[in-house]
Amino acid sequence: MAVAPTRSRKSPRRQKLEAAVNYPLDWLEERSGLIGAVRYFLFRKVPGDTNWFHTLGSATLTAFLVQALTGAILAMYYQPHPATAYQSINHITNDVTLGWLVRGMHKWGASVFIILMFFHMARVFLFGAYKYPRELNWIVGVMLLAVGMLEGFTGYLLPWDQTAYWATVVGINLNGTAPILGPFLADFLRGGAEIGNDTLSRFYSLHMLLIPGLIFALIGLHLYLVVRLGVSSPPWSREAAGGGDYPAAPPSTNGRSGLTQPTARSGWRRNGGES
Amino acid sequence: MASIEDRRAQFTQYKQDVKSRGKSFYPYAMFHDTVMSLVVVSVIIALACVWYFTSGTDPNTCGGKDSCLLGPRYSEPADPGTTNFVPRPDWYFYFLFYLLRIFKWPNTVILGTVGIPTILLIILIVLPFVDVRRERRLLRRPVALIAAVLVVISMGVLTYKGATAKEALASEVVQAVPTWAQRQGFADDKDAVAGATVFATSGCTACHTYLGTGSSNLGAPDLSAIGKSGQGPNFFSTYVADPSKYGNNVMPKFAALGQTKLHQLGVFLSESKGPK
Repeated sequence: MAVAPTRSRKSPRRQKLEAAVNYPLDWLEERSGLIGAVRYFLFRKVPGDTNWFHTLGSATLTAFLVQALTGAILAMYYQPHPATAYQSINHITNDVTLGWLVRGMHKWGASVFIILMFFHMARVFLFGAYKYPRELNWIVGVMLLAVGMLEGFTGYLLPWDQTAYWATVVGINLNGTAPILGPFLADFLRGGAEIGNDTLSRFYSLHMLLIPGLIFALIGLHLYLVVRLGVSSPPWSREAAGGGDYPAAPPSTNGRSGLTQPTARSGWRRNGGES
Repeated sequence: MASIEDRRAQFTQYKQDVKSRGKSFYPYAMFHDTVMSLVVVSVIIALACVWYFTSGTDPNTCGGKDSCLLGPRYSEPADPGTTNFVPRPDWYFYFLFYLLRIFKWPNTVILGTVGIPTILLIILIVLPFVDVRRERRLLRRPVALIAAVLVVISMGVLTYKGATAKEALASEVVQAVPTWAQRQGFADDKDAVAGATVFATSGCTACHTYLGTGSSNLGAPDLSAIGKSGQGPNFFSTYVADPSKYGNNVMPKFAALGQTKLHQLGVFLSESKGPK
């Protein structure tokens, strides 16, 4: 893909500069298609009447990213062993520079994340946005809610204080009441007969490897479906949204099918890129 | 119910509408998203600051103030030996926590612990397959609207109840011991009275009720007349030491109390035959 602009009013110096800027982009696009994918993501059309309610999803994502970032920093100082966990939390909160801020953001970010998940879910429910063809994305969202609350449960033990310890004792015992699987699940979570060393390292691993990995994967799927199916318009929208009596849209002059299109593969510049 | 052809046609129409009249995600929608994300991060930072600056390094005091605005930085270190700490989950589990008080152990407690959460999850998952009408405007979806209002109200009430549920303090419960001894008629039995004190101070009343004292947390049974069953002190002390041996996986083990206290507790429970 050569770069030369066809109608060249630009100075040679400007041409050289553009070529220098475009070369790495073209190089990347030719080998991966990533530039086209990003362009498709950024310049895809969303209904003209999306509003502030539609920001709850990305707000939830932001809260999760705050958790991921602050969690990674906390993991640098936290020591998941019953003998040292409480001390390390104390150290993070009281000694480490801005440690209190990182831990405070992680502690309160968890609540904000849960609240935003519920708000986002309420918005989707009230807008009827779970309906065809977005059923699958609703289910992925429900899974994210369940897994997110599990993340809250496993994280609650880690400070290894009385609040954490006894909440987990009861939480695990409650799991144990489930028919058939319950006792096995309780034994698995406890990692033995008593809550102790094995329980803490187990919860730590679940909290910072397994469950966040699952959440990242589910968020990826969730976003893929959002981009593929398009952002739902509000129920009162003219964009073929809700009722049976929506006004017909003017016929599309675009020859291409209006149905879902995969990522633009035809070169990022032809698809609304520069000149 | 709209046929699948209708729904497909509507979605095709939507895609065309958005293509011809929609706006580009960047910068229009992305601007709103960015502003909202900044608000979220600011709120999180603000909460962290308020929490930190209204609390102190000591788990029991809040920098000289009576109570921390957003709770202490941490409670005392975990100690499996203490038995009078009242367990309490994070706030978003309060609704489940309170549900457990509604169902009584052991027959229906499974409903509260596993049953209702599972049912809620199943309802959420099957929702888009049950509600296949094309209509999305809220006022024309009365069932969905009423269901949403009911869910919000019940979750709110349960969370509030869970948050404000009073837990009996050991220092208050222990004052009831003489009354218990009198009403149950074991005032002359030194072991039983000692056992009653153990019962009052070891956190038993966090989950059990006894002659009107305590809270039925987790749906645990009332113990005022537990001794009527005729099992002796030994049965009760071994049961309390490790309830899982008797198929009770809800109640924590209290073996940490030690043999003497467990024996006294056993005598107390076997003497609790209901008020005379």
